[in-house]
Amino acid sequence: MSFSALAALVAAEPTVAPPSGFWGVLAGWANAFIDTFKIGGENFVGLVTGIIPTLIVLLTAVNALIRWIGPDRIDSIGEMAARPGLQYYPVRYLVLPVLSVFFLTNPMAYTMGRFLPERYKPAFYDSAVSYVHPITGIFPHANGGELFVYLGIAAGIQTLGLPLGDLALRYLLVGMVVIFIRGVLTEIITARMMARRTSGDAANAEAVA
Amino acid sequence: METINKTLVTIGRSVGGVVGVLYQAGRDTIDMVIRNILPFMAFISVIVGIIKKTEVGDKLAHLIEPAAGSLPGLLLISVFCAIPVLSPLLGPGAVIAQIVGVLLGERIGAGNIQPQYALPALFAINPQVGCDFIPVGLALGEAEPETVEVGVPAVLFSRLVTGPLSVVIAYFASFGLYSS
Repeated sequence: MSFSALAALVAAEPTVAPPSGFWGVLAGWANAFIDTFKIGGENFVGLVTGIIPTLIVLLTAVNALIRWIGPDRIDSIGEMAARPGLQYYPVRYLVLPVLSVFFLTNPMAYTMGRFLPERYKPAFYDSAVSYVHPITGIFPHANGGELFVYLGIAAGIQTLGLPLGDLALRYLLVGMVVIFIRGVLTEIITARMMARRTSGDAANAEAVA
Repeated sequence: METINKTLVTIGRSVGGVVGVLYQAGRDTIDMVIRNILPFMAFISVIVGIIKKTEVGDKLAHLIEPAAGSLPGLLLISVFCAIPVLSPLLGPGAVIAQIVGVLLGERIGAGNIQPQYALPALFAINPQVGCDFIPVGLALGEAEPETVEVGVPAVLFSRLVTGPLSVVIAYFASFGLYSS
């Protein structure tokens, strides 16, 4: 209630003074307490009516699409991604993570790592897990429990009356660039650490012998 | 008569299949909304209520506001989130990233942070993504225990580089976004 409305109310009913003194402080606290949850409730209704209806329809359509295509189809890409060679890097750390996150969603997407040799698994996980938020801008089905990384910031853009499509698309594309770099770098680091570990083991074995 | 029967059966079957798939998809969707999405909306709403009503939120927001409104500040946030000891603690359920996302969204909506920083901010608050989940994620990929032992530090150290790098990439990719 705005101050002017409050003043008008007081003017209209001069017999009721607002509580003052100790009791007034308590009453003020009570008001603030209830107001906190009122604001929260309004926010909740805003989220439910603003986001849920579109989300439900979109999720149903995408879930149906995934069922029609069949998630098993990406298994062959998993097998292809296991091959060594420079030309398979984009398959391993771009195509496979994006498709697994889209079709299998978080957390089942990481099961696609089973097609890869051990030395690629950490890098693939890093790559796939880094894509579970960039994808939510356009395909929220992939990670329904963690939508607010994007939605929180998107809400601010919406308040300003700006269109969200541009941000969602750029988030999706920059995400692809980032997961590719992440995959390649983590693969290099994993290879170094595995090499050091095996040479360390050999040295230990010699020391024991 | 035979052919008509066959056609009818085929049509019936395919229509039934389509309807069945759509219905199952709807069931999955409602399940997800009730299990994952609504509870988080309730949680976020409580936080938003407290942030808007009390000064705690304002103070917190003023603390991150200067950091989130410039490239060096965003880099600082991303390095902080990517520190190998902190990243697994900040990771679970992406709760921290989501709360910070909501806080930053409020500030962007209030006009305190320029909207073109939305894209780099999305990466700055999230270099810790999945850092709490590495052993489980690798186990889902049927990794050997030795791979997990190497994989956990490998991913954590990689984030220290790729976290800030992702902010820089996003910063350059945000040219022309919400600005003329």
